[in-house]
Amino acid sequence: MEQKAVSILKTALRNPPLLTLLLVALVWLAASLTLRGFGAYGHLRYLLELSAVIGIVAAGQTLVILMGGIDLSVGAIITVTAILLPLLSPSADPTGLSGLAIALAIATGIGFLNGAGAAYLRVPPIIMTLAMATFLQGLLVIVAGGSAVSVTNAAVLWLGQARPLGVPSGVMLWIAVSAVVLVIIHRTPLGARLLALGANPLASRLSGINVTRSMLVLYAMSGFFAGLAGILILGMNRQGYVGIGEPYLLTSIAAVVLGGTSILGGRGTYAGTIPGAILLVTTTALITVVNASPGWRSIMFGSLILALLLISGREGRR
Amino acid sequence: MMKTLPLLEARQVFKGFFGNPVLKGVDIALEPGRVHALLGENGAGKSTLINLLSGALRPDSGEIRVDGVPVSRFHPAAARAAGIAVVQQELSLTAELSIAENIGLGAFPRRFGLIDYAALSARASEVCELVGLTESLCTPVGDLSLGRRQMVEIAKALFRKPRVLILDEPTSSLSAHEAGILSRLIERLRGAGIALLYISHRLNEVQALCSHVTVLKDGVVTADQPLAGIDAQGLVRLMVGRDAGDLFPAWELPRRGEELIRLRGFSSGLARDVDFSASAGEIVGIGGLVGQGQEDFLLGLYGAMGSSAREAVIAGRSGPLKSVEAANAAGLAYVPADRKREGLVLPHSIASNLLLPSLGRIAKLGLRDRGAERNLVARLVKRLRIKGETSRPVQALSGGNQQKVALAKWLPLAPSVLLLNDPTRGVDIETKREIYLMLKSFAREGTLIILLSSDTPELVHLCDRVTVFGEGRAVATLPRELISEEAIVGAAMGINPKGSAP
Repeated sequence: MEQKAVSILKTALRNPPLLTLLLVALVWLAASLTLRGFGAYGHLRYLLELSAVIGIVAAGQTLVILMGGIDLSVGAIITVTAILLPLLSPSADPTGLSGLAIALAIATGIGFLNGAGAAYLRVPPIIMTLAMATFLQGLLVIVAGGSAVSVTNAAVLWLGQARPLGVPSGVMLWIAVSAVVLVIIHRTPLGARLLALGANPLASRLSGINVTRSMLVLYAMSGFFAGLAGILILGMNRQGYVGIGEPYLLTSIAAVVLGGTSILGGRGTYAGTIPGAILLVTTTALITVVNASPGWRSIMFGSLILALLLISGREGRR
Repeated sequence: MMKTLPLLEARQVFKGFFGNPVLKGVDIALEPGRVHALLGENGAGKSTLINLLSGALRPDSGEIRVDGVPVSRFHPAAARAAGIAVVQQELSLTAELSIAENIGLGAFPRRFGLIDYAALSARASEVCELVGLTESLCTPVGDLSLGRRQMVEIAKALFRKPRVLILDEPTSSLSAHEAGILSRLIERLRGAGIALLYISHRLNEVQALCSHVTVLKDGVVTADQPLAGIDAQGLVRLMVGRDAGDLFPAWELPRRGEELIRLRGFSSGLARDVDFSASAGEIVGIGGLVGQGQEDFLLGLYGAMGSSAREAVIAGRSGPLKSVEAANAAGLAYVPADRKREGLVLPHSIASNLLLPSLGRIAKLGLRDRGAERNLVARLVKRLRIKGETSRPVQALSGGNQQKVALAKWLPLAPSVLLLNDPTRGVDIETKREIYLMLKSFAREGTLIILLSSDTPELVHLCDRVTVFGEGRAVATLPRELISEEAIVGAAMGINPKGSAP
């Protein structure tokens, strides 16, 4: 009996997504029992709504990191979408869907440029995407001039505010995104190729994998998902401003790593990123409950992330 | 009779990994002034024994003796202090550091706490001279060919003035010329009273250099005796435990089909202005000293390296191939020499490695077809007799089985041209023979096989034609009746063989 428990524990330790999920369940259970109001349906739903945003940004981030790259421009792309969308939504379209499509196309295009820079100019992704982020920030200051823009786009507001059947539409969007990304990673040739690329780019190239095309597609996807998250944030906030996307850069990477995906690429799955995002949001919420100054909160958050990583997202020793 | 005291000795050592016994009571004694051969197939326990002798691993039971004294808690530093040096099969050099820095690494001469570069280069140039390294000592090791790196590795071991020198497959990436230098060096070290342990899959080298042999089979010593009086057949019998038969399949007249490759003035990387042609059903060898542009020639053909040509027809397409994808589409496949770095995705499973080139072909409506994939993997594993659970990482396999995976993954594409870069390096005899038979049968089915090899006997026995490279050019093409080890080595050294035209 005891042996069986040990073997289950061992399996869990070897399976980072499962481990992260167990950790989330544990934290939620403990917090619900000790903190009043934490376990209320409304509160948990709110946590999931916040997780959805991080989860969607981290979807693109997961794909890029699995391939051995990284996307440091997701925060800037979120901001770009959140600010440009209200300006680009044509008033002739009452549904707001056309504005949504334009914004997503722009976000995807930015991601595509990231991929092109990394693939054709051979700029390391970390530099390419960082430069892109800086460039976009400058552009936004010129376009938006530092003032917040309010959104009236019907589709965006529906996405951010509606709760069909009691479930926030953002969470529904996240479920759909999760399904698509999991299928891409585990059920398509592209998924198998990107994992191989992340683990050994040279062998993959000599095996006939088109590295350039893979990079273009994956960075474009990362841009697309960051744009999608930007639209969701805009809908939840009702206004966009410069810096709105900033907090999501590090959290997206942390969610990926918390889920057990190797930051070096080649190993991991989005199934880990999902509980990773929830764990991250929960931690933030718990820290907010504690009455501490913002400085201390930040320090606590940093230490907790590190502690959580030691438990679940540790790089496997090879 | 006075018995010489062994410098280094293992007595009844046992070692297992995860409950899997690898060495089961092994004895070996290295005496001064003797070249001792250690033979055994891959997986027989040779590497483990070397690791025990060099302190990298500790035996589960049994003892290691230095100068007849049992040492407890043996570790690499203690082994180095006792004068034991190992030249590893897997090169352990740092590509960014210079030759001199690599040689001195870990034993830098110091002055006021800083590296004394003058002393370092003086002593490094001494050992470089011994091994015939003429390159500037400041050259980064990353710029050297594999064979030259191996010589640096040997120089590094000599730098520490060892009393016991263990050489693990030192010649697997060396040219015939470099191997010659090495064998003279070994004779000299033996004369100086150093105890040498020599591990090699090449039996003719073993017979030429060694005087005593220990044969390992499945972790047990099956022979420990002077080498005099045993022929190559006898050695193979000791290693595989039965009659080996001929290593190489009999040569047969190729059924030459249509011309698949015709190159005029083809250049890529180090390869310059090469004229070359080959037809379906042939096995064409590429030989010469290591690092004369042969690899770049294959990579250029394969579209993995930029290339140009006055005239090029490759598998029915005119002009050099621009990408690996285009090469695959044209029916070319390439098996690289460095399977760990270039051929396989080591941490991934055997199955995913086998599927990598054919993922797109067996997908249905953009999704992977699990059933078809399973069938394909099962078929390949069966056809090439790859041992091991297909869901395990490929890095868990022995070298020979890894090589089979690197080759097998191309079969579903039914390539019409198979480019092989040293396919039997570091592979045990049994697998070598399986690979040779496979190549023969591919050729019989009409595949053109281009075989680049640093193992000259391989070229002699398998190929219908051998093109020899020197300084990036195809200096000679030997037809079947002129192929011999002497002719290949001679052509590589610039001696014009009679009647050959490139």
